[in-house]
Amino acid sequence: MDLKFSAEDEAYRQRLRAWLKENLGRRPDPPPAASKDPLAGARDWPRRLHDAGYLGIAWPREYGGQEASFTQQVICVEEMARVRTPPLINTIGLSIIGPTLVQHGTEQQKKRFLLRILRADDLWCQGFSEPAAGSDLASLRCRAEIDGDEFVVNGQKVWTSLAPISDWIFMLVRTGPDAPKREGISYLLCDMKAPGISVRPLRNAAGGIHFSEVFFDDVHVPRENLVGELNAGWAIARSSLDHERSGLSGVIGLEETLGHLWRMAGRTTRDGREALDDSSTRRLLAQHWIAIEGLRHLGYRTLSDQIAGRPPGAGASLGKLFASELRQRLAKTALRVQGPFAPVAKRSPHVVDRGRWHAAYFDALGHAIGGGTSEIMRNVIAEKVLGLPRSTDE
Amino acid sequence: MEFSLSEEQIALQEMAREFLRERWPAERMRAALDAQPAVIDEEVWREIVQMGWLGVAASEELGGIGGDVTTAAVLAQEAGRGILAGPFESSLVAAIALERSGDRDLCRNLLADLIAGRTRVTLAIEEPGGGYGVDAVETVIEAHPEGWRISGRKFLVPDAEGAAVLLVAARSPDGLGLVPIDANSPGVTIVPMRRLDGQSCAEVVFERAACSGASLLPGGEAVLREVYEIWTTLLAADLLGTAEASLELARQYASERVQFGRPIGSFQAVSHRLADDLVGVEIGRSLLWGACLALDERRDHAPALVSAAKAWLSDTAVSAAESALQIHGGVGFTWEYDVHLHLRRARCNAALLGDADHHRDRVALHMQRAWMPPVKA
Repeated sequence: MDLKFSAEDEAYRQRLRAWLKENLGRRPDPPPAASKDPLAGARDWPRRLHDAGYLGIAWPREYGGQEASFTQQVICVEEMARVRTPPLINTIGLSIIGPTLVQHGTEQQKKRFLLRILRADDLWCQGFSEPAAGSDLASLRCRAEIDGDEFVVNGQKVWTSLAPISDWIFMLVRTGPDAPKREGISYLLCDMKAPGISVRPLRNAAGGIHFSEVFFDDVHVPRENLVGELNAGWAIARSSLDHERSGLSGVIGLEETLGHLWRMAGRTTRDGREALDDSSTRRLLAQHWIAIEGLRHLGYRTLSDQIAGRPPGAGASLGKLFASELRQRLAKTALRVQGPFAPVAKRSPHVVDRGRWHAAYFDALGHAIGGGTSEIMRNVIAEKVLGLPRSTDE
Repeated sequence: MEFSLSEEQIALQEMAREFLRERWPAERMRAALDAQPAVIDEEVWREIVQMGWLGVAASEELGGIGGDVTTAAVLAQEAGRGILAGPFESSLVAAIALERSGDRDLCRNLLADLIAGRTRVTLAIEEPGGGYGVDAVETVIEAHPEGWRISGRKFLVPDAEGAAVLLVAARSPDGLGLVPIDANSPGVTIVPMRRLDGQSCAEVVFERAACSGASLLPGGEAVLREVYEIWTTLLAADLLGTAEASLELARQYASERVQFGRPIGSFQAVSHRLADDLVGVEIGRSLLWGACLALDERRDHAPALVSAAKAWLSDTAVSAAESALQIHGGVGFTWEYDVHLHLRRARCNAALLGDADHHRDRVALHMQRAWMPPVKA
């Protein structure tokens, strides 16, 4: 048993560190005077990363990737999380549709889309959930009928992140209305500028505008934008949700949050003494440290299995559930430590840490819903890992 | 980067699991609850000795098989899973203590005898003062006209009856450390105690009992602390085995038991509880391996990871055994079912060598050092 990286990997880490140090402080190049792209600044960072060979590193070389090893992927993620690199505007493309196209796309789709995803030329959003198809995603109703060389799409998607700025949407549509529900679903790529698409932003519980409703009214999609076979979209979507990640990137963020929480408690006076002097608070914080170390070492197990080519163990499916609940416990502990200061909103006297804990709290609640609710995660663990009988009727 | 058990460790684990299933029926532990504390039978003990389990973490030249803490933890985990009685785990820890001390004479004689099953040795560290660990030790070694003498009171000493030598944590003029004491010497009184799970332990009272010289084992306080960390880790491994066994019982029962026309494991109130127990087990296994590796590599943060594993697995083993009892319904509450044997073991080991709160306090100190460095003048 060892957790050592090879000399080659350590050298890779050092090069990356040096590159990040040099590039993080740099302002984005001013856009050409003619550009009216309001996202030009946001596109600059992924482009610089890609130029330096640090984006899409697991992807095949012929489509702009580096074919890097698992360890180098982990090093990349760790180092970038450590120095808090700017968010990537093309993250949905990078993490979901890109890998899906690498695996299931046609040669033409790969050539057409992958490099543009890496360069943030195209921004993508996901059209899976519908008002009546959330956890029971396979009951989705948005339908696509074949008309010559085209599909004609009608229906609605919801909780679509980044829809207003996206150029493309990858979506699940019903193409086999009479088939059993999982066997009548296809995976389509649709141009967001196509006539018949309208986007209505939704404000979330935290007050932010992050996701939208997307409506499709006789939207024409060329047949070549079908991913995989007709009516075989369910399995492809499942594989894209399963793209194994060790979860190690999340650990660094959680650790950082706990450090802030610890220091916040050190500055907070409760009942005439430092909140950190209270043994129940100390133990709660210690329990979070323990949980974070548990998640980190679970991530090492997942990574180690990937490197050795072993089938993914229980780690990957457990990680999402555990991490999202841990995130909630951290935020709730922060509010508990604040006591009478907890209700004070941002931009107000006496606000704690400029309101970051309120944001963290709502954000954490959202994490236990998006990408599969905690309840669905428990179903998956019970059925796939423990082998218990299915809880639903199909 | 290889964070998983080696092929050899997995083979050892499978062999141990099979051996205990065949040779150590849970019935023995149940019987012990009504009679004398359970002890491994002579014949099974001989086989354990022959398989080299006692020397699993000792070097080959000392009669061991050259494993590390991780390998020892594999066996402790199987002992927990198989509800094994003493004196296996106490002997294993005693062997590690003797080896870590590096005392050549003791290793050549006492350790060799221990590994070969000729002599029994155990450790006496905890005291009945209500505290845990090395810092709570009050037993003292003092000069006496006729030589050095040890006085104090130890309790929860595992498998003390039948042990020839006790490795006792004590304070001497040279500092803290372990000192080997002949269990039969005058001034040593062994008072049997019973554990909730039927295992054997004792209170041991030292009244100016003779020490062989003033000398603590070489390595003194550092070795004592290291041994305590290793022992704590092995106990965490035992708890992991208990949690796994409980979860397996509950999983199996929930798959088979039919109520309202369907297996109860298809009800989310049941399946989600088991899913949470599995999360607890897998996070616990990850922490345990992290602690083992940190000890084997002698990392500075090893004590924090040991505490993390012990705190987490103390909670997890108890809740997994409680889940198993609940999910079995009425039948789980019967004497004949094994669920309560696991629960009893979990409750004992969760409270030994530092309960979850004790270890969370240790982790909090580690966090304080990491995140609140003293302000420089």
